[in-house]
Amino acid sequence: MICSLGDSLDEIVDAVRHKRIRLDRVPFTLASLPHTKPYYLIERTVADKLHNRSEAYFYEVLFSAVSRAFLDAGLNKTEIRDMNVFFGSTSMDVPVFEGNHRKSSSTVSGIFLKSSYGYGKIAGAIVERFGIGGNCYSFATACTSSANALLYAAAMIEEGVIERALVVGYDLFNNLGFYGFEALKSIAETDYRPFDRTRDGLILGEACGAVILEGKRRKAGDFMHLGGANLCDTYSVTSHDEEGTAVAETMNRALRQAGISPGDICAVKAHATGTENNDRTECAAMRATFGCEMPPVTCLKPFIGHTVGACGVNELILFTESVKKGFVPSTPGFREVDDKLNLTPLTENMEAGEGIFMLNYFGFGGNCTTLIISNKGDRE
Amino acid sequence: MSEIYIHSASSFIGGENTDPIFLKEKLSSYTEENFRRVNRFILLTLLGARQCVHHHALDFDTAIYLTTEHGNLGETASVLDEIYSAGSLPKPFGFINTMSNTAAFYLARNLGVRGRNIMVSSQHLSFERGLELLQMDFALGVTGSALIGGVDEALLSRTALEEQTDRVFRMVNGSGWLYAKPVKDGACGAISEIRSFSDRHACMKWITERGRSNVDVVSFGALIDVDEAAAMKEILHPLTEFDYLCDYGYSGSATACGVSLFIMLFHEKTLLHINRDQRGHFAVIEVERY
Repeated sequence: MICSLGDSLDEIVDAVRHKRIRLDRVPFTLASLPHTKPYYLIERTVADKLHNRSEAYFYEVLFSAVSRAFLDAGLNKTEIRDMNVFFGSTSMDVPVFEGNHRKSSSTVSGIFLKSSYGYGKIAGAIVERFGIGGNCYSFATACTSSANALLYAAAMIEEGVIERALVVGYDLFNNLGFYGFEALKSIAETDYRPFDRTRDGLILGEACGAVILEGKRRKAGDFMHLGGANLCDTYSVTSHDEEGTAVAETMNRALRQAGISPGDICAVKAHATGTENNDRTECAAMRATFGCEMPPVTCLKPFIGHTVGACGVNELILFTESVKKGFVPSTPGFREVDDKLNLTPLTENMEAGEGIFMLNYFGFGGNCTTLIISNKGDRE
Repeated sequence: MSEIYIHSASSFIGGENTDPIFLKEKLSSYTEENFRRVNRFILLTLLGARQCVHHHALDFDTAIYLTTEHGNLGETASVLDEIYSAGSLPKPFGFINTMSNTAAFYLARNLGVRGRNIMVSSQHLSFERGLELLQMDFALGVTGSALIGGVDEALLSRTALEEQTDRVFRMVNGSGWLYAKPVKDGACGAISEIRSFSDRHACMKWITERGRSNVDVVSFGALIDVDEAAAMKEILHPLTEFDYLCDYGYSGSATACGVSLFIMLFHEKTLLHINRDQRGHFAVIEVERY
């Protein structure tokens, strides 16, 4: 995983454990706006600076994250060759076109229309680079994109359709998303405060995460996917029904598919964008699902930002790697309970051992996805 | 894996410069909803899918699988121009429409369904990959009915194709859809095979082993070259070839349109549709028309 916290899992988890976050501010130069807004940028070396980025940079980040995942999983060449690729992103290769624009006199849309090879291009580049022989599936369902990639990869393995999957969630900084969310007045002024009474929006982040899924554990402590669900809330293209009906139904279907009851959940990773509507909807849905027995809730976006379509994989990595190190992360930035929500996310790290966990993801276009994962012993 | 039974099919194919106003007028035959702030891609999605389920009462849990090569990238280009050329923030709905799943959202809302809502892409094999996801969801029992379609605009389809083949096709706006269930009752056809092959040799081997049984019609994707097609026909000896690319034109979603056109135009025939991507992977769909 490569994100604003670094590019090694140890470094990233250590930062999460100690609530160390790195937040930059980015100006709206192209629109000549007088203000800046916060953004969680990758900043490892001078090559990461926004003005230095290029197409080569885009693929360096991607291939580096994938290589690390292969190494971490200990895959051999044959195993890599035979796998299938599931890719999820909101921006896809828009950052490439924006990067090329800096070096060209053409309009960015001119470059874009002349060289757009479609949503499948990035997954195509991965299989070409690593000599992967399996099929490619690129998901574009806004902020649930890579969560849906995980959902289908896991289901295909469980059904015996495929043996192994590489699942990648990747969204790199791009002006389309940054200016677009500013146009929606969704970006917070300074700090990320999901579920807080004073929350004032989301803060975008960039990240590339890659996970390997297989039918069997390779290492003790590896997580299993127990089940999941996806539904469409048709209330509004940008927000969800505040009663949380469809969101709660998604959580309940995921629980049923996993063959467990709400009381089995040890902790919930909330989607928690920090926007007024999302947090209200999500709280209502969690109350409908769990009633008075609400499990501990954590929000991971304050660590790496809202990585939009990539958040499915990246928040899965952040969550599971933290649990492997013995804790469920707290939610930095939370200060004041919102009486309307009456929900306090974890403000201190919670000790974690074996358990079953719920991960929630929601997106534009009413897309709702819930995943249930476990690090308990192998299920019969 | 479960069979996918086809309960209806439709294909809308419009000329390269199909006016969104014309699409809205056509759409008004199927729904009274007045769509504002929607673009050509969304209108193509709505029109093709509404045509497909015009005479069907849909379950609340009906799933939608939208496959596409380029999705809303046309709108994305316009929004990038707003930012880079006009130096302004994009219009909110323009930005929202850059996300291709908004088309599947508008369709779900218009149809009053709340099932799975997935948008998937895979260079030149998007429809085949979507069918695989649907087949798995039927097998797992997570959905009992589904709309699966392929939608692409002409404008963006040209570049991606021209770099891959010398063949020349008329570019069109395409929206091809199937209404499918895992049950045969009331079906007009079925997807009886979806197979993928990592190279030409493996595909030819399967075709050879399969022999000539029950293949009445063959059709080929845009990247299958003339020699490959001839070799496959030599083995299969079909009664006829359905050259939908020549007859109806090409879009990134030509396969979805071709399969749905087969259901609409043929009766009591079996189709073998053979496709390949730019890296030489092959995919075969077998379609039975009752």
